[in-house]
Amino acid sequence: MRKLLFIALAALAPVAAETIVIENATIMTVTKGTLKGSVVIRDGKIAEVGEKVMVPQGATIIDAGGQYLIPGIIDCHSHIAVDGGVNEGSVSVSSMVDIKDVIDPEDVSIYRALAGGVTTANILHGSANAIGGKTVVLKMRWGKDAQGMIFEGALPGIKFALGENPKRAGNPPGGRGANATPVFARYPATRMGVEDVIREAFNQAKAYKAEWDAYDASAARGEHAIPPRKDLKLEALKEVLEGKRYVHAHCYRSDEILMLLRVADDYGFKIRTLQHVLEGYKVAPEILAHGAGASTFSDWWAYKIEAIDAIPYNAALMQKKGIVVSLNSDDAELMRHLNTEAAKAMKYGGVSENDALAMVTINPAKQLGIDQRVGSIEVGKDADLVIYDKHPLSDYAKVQKVLIDGTVYFDRDKAVSAAKAAAAEKQKLLDKIKQSQPRQQPARRPNG
Amino acid sequence: MAESPPVTAIRNARIVTVGGPVIAKGTVVIHSGLIEAVGENVAIPAGAWVIDGEGMTVYPGLIDALSTVGIPGAAPAATAGRGGGRGQTATPATTTTAAATQPAAPRAMGPEDRPQTTSWLLAADEISPSDHRIETVRSGGITTTATYPTRGIFAGQGSLLDLITAEKAGEMVVVPSLGQYISVTRAAGFGGFGSGFPGALMGYIAYIRQIYLDADHYKLVKDAYAKDPRGLERPQYDRALEGVLESKRILLPANRVIEMDRMLRLAADLKQPVILYGMREAYRPEAAPLLKKFARPVLVSLKWAEAPRDPDPEADQTLRSLSNIDQGPAAPAALQKAGVPFAFYTDGIDAPRDLVRAVKKAIDAGLAREDALRAFTLSPAEIYGVADRLGSIEKGKIANLVLTKGDIFDSNTHIETVFVDGKPYKPVAEAPPGGRGQTTEEPGEIR
Amino acid sequence: MKKIGLLFSLAAGLWLGGMVAWAAADAPVLIRGVDVYPVTGPAIKGVSVLLENGKIADIGAKVAAPKGARIVDGKGLCVYPGLIDSATQLGLSEIEAIRESVDTGELGEFMPQLRALAAVNPGSEHFPVVRVNGVTTAMTFPAGGGGGGRGAAARQVISGQAALIHTDGWTWEQMAVLPSAAVAVQFPSLGGRGGRGGNPDFAELLGEAGAAGTYAQTLRTYQEDLAKLTDFFDQARRYQKAKAASAPGLVRDLKYEALIPVFEGKTPLAISVSTPKTIHDAIAFADKQNVKVVLLQPREIGSAAAELKAKNIPVILGKVLALPHGEDDPYDQAFTLPLECYKAGVKFAFGTFENEFVRDLPYQAATAVAFGLPREEALKAITINPAEIWGVSDQAGSIEKGKLADLVVTTGDILEIQTQVKHVFIKGQDVDLTNKQTRLYEKYLARP
Repeated sequence: MRKLLFIALAALAPVAAETIVIENATIMTVTKGTLKGSVVIRDGKIAEVGEKVMVPQGATIIDAGGQYLIPGIIDCHSHIAVDGGVNEGSVSVSSMVDIKDVIDPEDVSIYRALAGGVTTANILHGSANAIGGKTVVLKMRWGKDAQGMIFEGALPGIKFALGENPKRAGNPPGGRGANATPVFARYPATRMGVEDVIREAFNQAKAYKAEWDAYDASAARGEHAIPPRKDLKLEALKEVLEGKRYVHAHCYRSDEILMLLRVADDYGFKIRTLQHVLEGYKVAPEILAHGAGASTFSDWWAYKIEAIDAIPYNAALMQKKGIVVSLNSDDAELMRHLNTEAAKAMKYGGVSENDALAMVTINPAKQLGIDQRVGSIEVGKDADLVIYDKHPLSDYAKVQKVLIDGTVYFDRDKAVSAAKAAAAEKQKLLDKIKQSQPRQQPARRPNG
Repeated sequence: MAESPPVTAIRNARIVTVGGPVIAKGTVVIHSGLIEAVGENVAIPAGAWVIDGEGMTVYPGLIDALSTVGIPGAAPAATAGRGGGRGQTATPATTTTAAATQPAAPRAMGPEDRPQTTSWLLAADEISPSDHRIETVRSGGITTTATYPTRGIFAGQGSLLDLITAEKAGEMVVVPSLGQYISVTRAAGFGGFGSGFPGALMGYIAYIRQIYLDADHYKLVKDAYAKDPRGLERPQYDRALEGVLESKRILLPANRVIEMDRMLRLAADLKQPVILYGMREAYRPEAAPLLKKFARPVLVSLKWAEAPRDPDPEADQTLRSLSNIDQGPAAPAALQKAGVPFAFYTDGIDAPRDLVRAVKKAIDAGLAREDALRAFTLSPAEIYGVADRLGSIEKGKIANLVLTKGDIFDSNTHIETVFVDGKPYKPVAEAPPGGRGQTTEEPGEIR
Repeated sequence: MKKIGLLFSLAAGLWLGGMVAWAAADAPVLIRGVDVYPVTGPAIKGVSVLLENGKIADIGAKVAAPKGARIVDGKGLCVYPGLIDSATQLGLSEIEAIRESVDTGELGEFMPQLRALAAVNPGSEHFPVVRVNGVTTAMTFPAGGGGGGRGAAARQVISGQAALIHTDGWTWEQMAVLPSAAVAVQFPSLGGRGGRGGNPDFAELLGEAGAAGTYAQTLRTYQEDLAKLTDFFDQARRYQKAKAASAPGLVRDLKYEALIPVFEGKTPLAISVSTPKTIHDAIAFADKQNVKVVLLQPREIGSAAAELKAKNIPVILGKVLALPHGEDDPYDQAFTLPLECYKAGVKFAFGTFENEFVRDLPYQAATAVAFGLPREEALKAITINPAEIWGVSDQAGSIEKGKLADLVVTTGDILEIQTQVKHVFIKGQDVDLTNKQTRLYEKYLARP
């Protein structure tokens, strides 16, 4: 695949810092209305948007006649590009681990997401524990290394998880019955325990923070004390308490949502986003009052008991109540058509076209605190753009080109020919390896 | 056989010194285990045991830069994290073996439980001179091994051994502590829930980070207490941290390019000198510049990726794995060209015939013979900082030599004698030629 | 939504346990001024459709309303045949994660006597949910339709009889369109090799490869499994002959009995396959057994395409919105498989294979259109094609006089997400479009 994409990228690698003009497109800016016109990109940023623009000399022209231009899609919940497991599920609090340490820039899911118009994704730890690992926001700059993927300046986050998943390890199969084989059951086994784990973790984090604050104060006074032990687990929670790290909390039922909001209130931190939040519609006023964003599925339901009251109207309903709502994928496949997931918010609940599009662009950007950089087509913002052949909220639409920072990272025509080239390359290698192999020796087992 | 005469001389031999030019016809004099003289016109001391090297070549003894030879029961392969790729891959053989032979440790609930850590172990203390693998690999010309304990995350510190047939392990030790062997594996299923912390790769990395934070703090507290204990709480002794602090360098696994990048950055964060081992994808164009940028030496596994025998014709063989099979052995040539210091390690290929075949693949893929030899002699000596005593045929260095008929990396070459610390050893009869079963054991299988 | 709400209030007084019974349930319905998309013929704009006695009684510009007929104003609306999903577990599985609520995947290897129909729960919440998007008819499979069910089901070879059902009815008897529409066979698999998503990167598995077994071993097991299947069929044949000959002392065998309709050509085998090799082998098996066959969910057709066309063997394609099989496969592999089938002249219909996605059936079809399949072919693949494949094209699959009045009245193109469904008629009954989800929406929309 790398080879394939090398071919693909090499074929379309634009000159660095060039000026590009996308012409004749229906431009859906999301924040500034929709117009027919052009976008000028300079140094990776959007330099001009208008019905008529001055085409700079030497600019590369992309004719998007009859096509649609939208801001790059932002997925607020994804697990792609992670190497070696997305869950550190051995413990109930795994805030010491960091997705940033295990970014896999060669995960083909990045390319596939890109081909679906996603330019930015919030890469989360899994939901195996009440407090999970640290998270990172990536741009889908396929071909770059791990560092090159990271969304510069985006505040990192941490994953929390409520409900069935974090208590699953407390209820191992056959683990609780009297006659069952004893297996290790990890606390917690109930939603009560999940709350307890989070409260206890923040209890410790507060004490830890106090210890460090005292040390920092003494150091500021010029005293030479020995610093406290740095604890990676509590360090992440200290950052949450200091507002330096966003909390993205996986949740389903209204009771657990409310529980977390109250725990956060008690300990003085904010929940940045509620993830999945399938019963968010039941506690919308409470979510709004706390100031949390909601990032949900369009129409998933019934796959487990806590999803039984999930409704496809959730996004629309929460949005009507004033919550900043985004639609996420949590899935490498779904991620490839978040545009049509947005269209479902129109179908179920009558969200307007622009508001629907906002749910996969500017709203997730707000939730991730990167809306100054991405999420809409505005002068000065990153040139993260997607060209569709048809209206992006139609399921007949397909992505033609994707730009990130003004660089074309996906081009459908070139992708199709590159795929053919890669297949040929693969066949060549297969033949070569087959030929170089010694004739089949009789299978022999080592002795002993 | 291993009775060492006081002085030995090999004359009329072609001498590949590695450190200097090849001597077409010359003499090497060995005295008290050291190279006393080498050159075209060297006087042979009276009473020396003289070997006529006519038609033969003398090479420096080969150094296996990462090995488990000498630690009986250790897995033959020092695996470079089979956890490199995607898909469900097995736990490295090392941990499987450990699980099979050691009582189950209590389930680790976090870094503070120091999971899978025996950083204080010194290979030198674990050596059994009777390990039969010593003779096997020596028969292939390996005179020196960097032998490491390999069980666990912080497995312990490697030692440089001369593969003499010794009474006591201590006689074999050239350098007792080379550095800390660190391995990482990958998560299975729900993130290692069954086996305790850490479960996922990111858990391993977090653990490694926490250990070094703890070590720094530990040292701070200890030093302060040593300076003036009055009024200070007595610091606790932590042997895991002691072992970490003792280690002068760390070995981290990296097969894929992304792993090289990841581990080099990790080592930089930890402020530790690092040697990467594995290097399966070092043939890729991005690898050499990356390794050069960080200016760290690497150890290249000689266990090249191989095509599966009898594959399912409809199974998807990824371009990535096909490239690894096709291009893998080109890695050394690429590193050489880019000027990245590297050494070979056998990765459990013990049988001399298989070893030659593996090196030959690298040569066929563009590595010059002399560079292949260097990667097995002087380069590992330099990487471990022992080039003043090992790695080339030079006056004053340890007399580790291989006397052959033919080029050392030709399959029909016959090794006549292997000298370790000046002691001559005849190779044992070649094991029957084998396929992969010979060198690559099933995980967890104990010889 | 407002419109649905209105309909809801109209029906409120008559609402009984989630099912609406119109006062004059059997009263004729005249849909006036509607655009008719019959599928089997060109669109007829602005005509009337008369539904009487559960059937389509008339279509035309001037159709008089019979006495007592209810008039539905179809102005600006479209009418399509009810959509057919060719692979679901509707009625058999409520919450995927809760085994107690799942009735697919029985124990036992050869179980052709099992009847999916008799385990269909008419009260399943899935029915009103999927009806809302126009799915009036579905194949429901005893083993997840596709590549084996869960747990014990993975060992099944013949999992039972699939039923073609309507998505509305008081009892499963009323819901049945074809009580035994197919006998479901999980064709022997070539081991864990090559399965979707389960591909070990063999280069990383060196040393472990021996443990995984060679292809020769896998092939041997496969052939043994195939031999067992053949053997079972041979025994059933002997039983059929013995029965026909009224052999004395023949003990009735329910398993063999269940295959007689298959031998008689009345019921097809629905065989789950994966690769071209298994497709080829499944066809060979069906040929040898001289039975009708429908193939389920191949992940590719490749070299088997010509054979499928030549032998006129229909294929039920799985989810279009699916990831490519292998790392190097084109990103749009699953999107373009329908096009590939179409170009090869292979007859196909769509199945979603999971209950949660049944309501997305039209959008799956639309994705194939986005990637090149002619729109009318996509529509056929969820209407007339499945009707033909399952042998009910005399009753369903198109809007023609005399066929069952299974109709969907929409605000526009039925494949478009934004389109709203205004009425669903099943056997002429205007079915309730409210469901648990709409009710929760209304309830929480009103929450202060």
